[in-house]
Amino acid sequence: MTAKGYRMENLSAGYGSRVVISGVTASVLPGEILILLGENGAGKSTLLKTAAGLLQPMGGELWLNDVRLSEMSAAQRAAEMSVLLSERTDAGQMTCREIVEMGRYPYTGRFGILSEQDHRIVAQAMEATDTAQLADTDFGKISDGQRQRIRLARSIAQEPQVLLLDEPTVYLDIRYQAQFMRLLRTLCRERQMAAIVSMHEVGMALASADKLLCLKDGVVYASGTAQELRESGCLPGLYGVETETLEPEYGTELADYLRQSFGIGGK
Amino acid sequence: MRESRSTSQSNKRWAAALICLALLCPALVFLSICIGSTGISAGDVIAILTGHGGEEAAVSIIMRIRFPRAVAAMVLGGALGLSGYLLQTFFRNPIAGPFVLGISSGAKLCVAILLIVFAMRTGIPGSISMIGAAFFGALLSMGFVLLISARMRGKPTLIVAGIMIGYICSAATDFLVTFADDAQIVSLHNWSKGSFSGMDWGDVRVMSLLTVLCFAGILLLAKPISAYRLGEEYARSLGVDVFRLQVLLVLYSSLLAACVTAYAGPVSFVGIAVPQLIRALLRTERPQLLIPACFLGGGIFCLVSDLIARSIFSPAELSISSVTAVFGAPVVIIILLRRKGAV
Repeated sequence: MTAKGYRMENLSAGYGSRVVISGVTASVLPGEILILLGENGAGKSTLLKTAAGLLQPMGGELWLNDVRLSEMSAAQRAAEMSVLLSERTDAGQMTCREIVEMGRYPYTGRFGILSEQDHRIVAQAMEATDTAQLADTDFGKISDGQRQRIRLARSIAQEPQVLLLDEPTVYLDIRYQAQFMRLLRTLCRERQMAAIVSMHEVGMALASADKLLCLKDGVVYASGTAQELRESGCLPGLYGVETETLEPEYGTELADYLRQSFGIGGK
Repeated sequence: MRESRSTSQSNKRWAAALICLALLCPALVFLSICIGSTGISAGDVIAILTGHGGEEAAVSIIMRIRFPRAVAAMVLGGALGLSGYLLQTFFRNPIAGPFVLGISSGAKLCVAILLIVFAMRTGIPGSISMIGAAFFGALLSMGFVLLISARMRGKPTLIVAGIMIGYICSAATDFLVTFADDAQIVSLHNWSKGSFSGMDWGDVRVMSLLTVLCFAGILLLAKPISAYRLGEEYARSLGVDVFRLQVLLVLYSSLLAACVTAYAGPVSFVGIAVPQLIRALLRTERPQLLIPACFLGGGIFCLVSDLIARSIFSPAELSISSVTAVFGAPVVIIILLRRKGAV
C-alpha cells in the first residue's frame, strides 16, 4: 500500500519514562486538517510534539509518505514538517519579514543568507496570509491575530508537507479564530499540506476539521469526522460533561450553549 | 523608535554603522598611542610607528607600552562584547554578562590561586597557564550558575545567583591576597582591580589569536543562533542541534571572559552594555551583524574607557572597572526601565 500523507501507527508518547498517551493510530492526507481535542493534560501537546519529532516516540511508528520519521535526519525533517508552537518568545527588534524568513532556515547555507528564490517564497507566503503590508513592522508591535498569521506565513515559507500547530487560536478572539482557521484550510487545500492542530474550542474545531481525534485518559476516546462525532454524542463525555443534568448544573442558557458546541440535541 | 523601516533603509543603516565602528577602532588605537603622561606629538608618533625612528625613550614608550596596551584594550574589549552577547543569547536575558554572572570573578579567583602558588615557588607563570586557570574558574562559576538556573526558572534569580557567586569569589580572592605576603602580591593586587596596563607583544599575540579563533567559531554559529532566538523547541524543529549549540555558547563565552580576566583582571559592565548599545544602534537582531558589531563595539568601549582611566587623573590611574561602570551601569538601568514599559 502506498500511503500519501502523514500517519501515526500505534504511537505512544510521553516524557522521560512517563507515558502520557498511547495506542494512537491516525492519518492525515495532503490537504486535510486533523484536529486534536481533549481536556487540559489529555496529551494533545505531547502527541503533537512527538508527531513533530521534538519528542522521541515511546512506542509505535510515524510515517511520512511511506518513510519512517525515525529514518529522517533533523534537516530532512525540517524541510518536510513545519511546527507552530504556542511558546511565546520575545522577538526583540525583529521585523515581520525577518520572522517569516526564518522559515527558509532548512534551505539556506552555512550563514543563513537568503537567495533570490528564498526572498520570492517569503514574499509569496506573506501575500498568501494577507500580511505583506506588515513586512517592515516590528513583530512585537502587531496584534495577536496578525502575529499568528505571520507565524503561519513562516510555516508555509518552509514549504512543508506537514504542518503541526499547537493551540494556534488560543490567544485569539473569536473573529480572528475563525479567520485563522479559514486561512489554514485554504492554504492546506491549495498547497496540499496535511495539518495536525491541537485546539480547545470544540465548536471551532468541529467547524473547521476534516477529521478529529479525541484524547482522554491517555488513549484515543473517539475519532472521526465532525458529523460522526456529533451523531455519536461522545463529545460531552470527552470533557466530563453530564448531558442528563445540564440544566440544573449550568442553567438554561449555558446548557443551550454547551449543547450547541457539542452539536447534540435540538436548539 | 519608528514603527517600520524598509529593507533598503535598514541595509544602509547597517552598512554605515559597521563601517563607522570599523573605522573608529583604529582611530581610537592611534589616539590612545598619542595620549599619555609623557607628551609625544602626533607627528612623532606617526614617525615612530612607520619606523622612521625618534628619541629612544619615546620609541620605547610608544612601541613597548602604549601600542600593545591599546591593541590589548581593543582585543579584550571585543572579547567582552562577544562574551556578553553570547550569554544574553544563551540565557535569553538582556542583563546577562560575564561580570554579573560571576564568571569573571570565578576566573579571577583561580588566577589568583595560581599566581600565589607559583609566586611562592618559581615566579610568574606563563600566560597560557594563566588563561587555563582563568578558563577553569570561569567554567566552575558557569557551572554553578547553570545549576541554579536549571532549578529555578526565572530571570531575576539567575542574575542574583550570579552576583552572589561573584561576591563569594571576590571575597575569597581578597582573602588570598591579604594573607599571601610576597613581592608579587603588589602586582596581584593591582591586577585584581582590573587594568590594561603592563601588556607586552607576547601577551597581545596570544590574546589576539585566541579571540580571533573564538570570533570565527562564533560567526559559524550565527545561523543556529538566529533560530535559537525564537525558542528552543522551534530551533529544534528547524533541525538545530540545540544541546550542541548551548554547549558551544557556554564554552565560547567562558573562554573569552577567561582570556580577558587572565590579562586585565575583572572588567565590569562591558559585557552587558555593549550588546545592548549595539542593538540600539543597528536596530536588528541578526546575529550575522551583531557578532562583528559587538566585537568592534566592545573594542571601542574599552579603548575609550582605558584612555579615560589613565588620562583623567594622570599620572595616577583609575581601575578600568570604575570607568566602565560609570558608562555601563546607566545602560543597564535604561534597559530595565524600558523593559517595564514593553512587557
